[in-house]
Amino acid sequence: MISSSLYMIWRALRNMKGNLFPNLTTIAIIGITMLIFSSFSLIAFNLTAFLKIWEDKIEVIAYLKKGIPLSEVEELLKNTRQLEGIETVKYVSPFDAMAFMESKLGGQKNLLDGIQPGVLPSSFEIRLKKDFRNSTSIKEVVSLLNQFPQIEEVQYGQEWVENVSAIVHIFRLTQWVLGGLLLIGIIFITSNTLQLTISSRKEEIELMHILGATPAFIRVPFYIEGLIQGLLGTGLAILFLFYLYYKVLLYKVFFLYVTPSMKEWLAGIPILFLPPDRIALIISGGMVLGFFGSFVASMRFLKYRV
Amino acid sequence: MIQMTHVFKTYPSHISALSDINLEVSAGEFIFITGPSGSGKTTLLHILFCAEKPTSGEVIVNGIHITQKGLKRIYQLRRKMGIVFQDFKLLQDRTVGENIAFALEVTGHVRKEVKKKVSEILGRVGLQERKEDSVLSLSAGEKQRVAIARALVNDPPLLLADEPTGNLDDPITLEVMEIFKDLHHRGTTIVFATQDIDLIQRYPYRVVYLLNGRKVNGSA
Repeated sequence: MISSSLYMIWRALRNMKGNLFPNLTTIAIIGITMLIFSSFSLIAFNLTAFLKIWEDKIEVIAYLKKGIPLSEVEELLKNTRQLEGIETVKYVSPFDAMAFMESKLGGQKNLLDGIQPGVLPSSFEIRLKKDFRNSTSIKEVVSLLNQFPQIEEVQYGQEWVENVSAIVHIFRLTQWVLGGLLLIGIIFITSNTLQLTISSRKEEIELMHILGATPAFIRVPFYIEGLIQGLLGTGLAILFLFYLYYKVLLYKVFFLYVTPSMKEWLAGIPILFLPPDRIALIISGGMVLGFFGSFVASMRFLKYRV
Repeated sequence: MIQMTHVFKTYPSHISALSDINLEVSAGEFIFITGPSGSGKTTLLHILFCAEKPTSGEVIVNGIHITQKGLKRIYQLRRKMGIVFQDFKLLQDRTVGENIAFALEVTGHVRKEVKKKVSEILGRVGLQERKEDSVLSLSAGEKQRVAIARALVNDPPLLLADEPTGNLDDPITLEVMEIFKDLHHRGTTIVFATQDIDLIQRYPYRVVYLLNGRKVNGSA
């Protein structure tokens, strides 16, 4: 069994060596198509990770109406803490708000000269429980907060959350639509290359039929060839993507065009490469596509001659 | 070994290649199939190794009903027979040894066994010294001996030969015939298709004469 499997792998490699140019072309085409697919996958993966980090950091700020007595603020604080999904609520008085602004302005805090803390509204800084840090749950909490008459306005950067979610959704969708198209393309390409291989080994295949080889013995090396083409093409695509990510995207291009303040803000958000399980999945996908290409070719051109 | 009963073969263009062929070949027998070009010799051999299906009739080879359906039956049958062609059908990019080993490899023999059997069979056809040579460097007679060695390496009880001496000159033909004679003495059943009447007359074996796809009266 082992020796027969090894023999078939040896034959597949020998076939590939004998038809080097068509095989290299197929590997290159699979590589390019899988590079496009995995690039979209990488972008979608990073946007998802970014969204998660951002959602994790998200805070809801409820600005209170002016002139609310402290006793009422305490009651409101208690009621807010009792809402579902609330982890912590911190009261920020106008004085606290002024102190925060001063600290943010640093050397330019004299800009605030003449401004009384009373002009700033008091607010609640609300942190949500982990499971509630997503756009749907945030909206629900915000709608409950808006029902309190003492609350003037609630802010949580809703546009950001919605925009990033939409972009992630578009990338995921593009990735799968593109994946579907590439799937058909790869099957077509592999199938046609193997057709060339089969044509060039016509005599050998005919002889196998005459000598009594089983259909599996004839077909399996071509399936292995498809698997190897898928493995090499996708493997090269992942390596090239890693090169782009490491050498070009991460260092040379990306940080070249962002402003220093943006760079500081982005520092907390790492740009990730695809995790090993995702890489394994993409490579397996490429191999399965290569296999299907060879399967289609063998169904068309390797019928047992009777 | 072979039993053909009322076998007809008609191609879609209504050309009749074989018509009502009845033939029995016993185990260990040597039989010549002869007739002019287009008489149906090759079609008859093709039917025997399932390269073509008869239009009607029954064919039993080595106990296998080849007219019944089933792919497994076909490759099992082919493993129990050797086939030699006029054009040798050797793989040009391989050596003599590799061409013979190919027949063993495709039927799942292990490497050690392949090596041993290839050496043995090359000895029998007198090509031991040429094992590592490319088949491109061989003469026509040597190529045919390689083809015969490949057909015999699996020790088949039945050997089909389609004009195996058609491309060979007289002295080489006799050399190749000696190998067939030796095989016959060892008990292999041989069906030998040829147009060469002189050759047939040199040997005392049964002759079946085909003309326009029919067995001519008087032939065995």
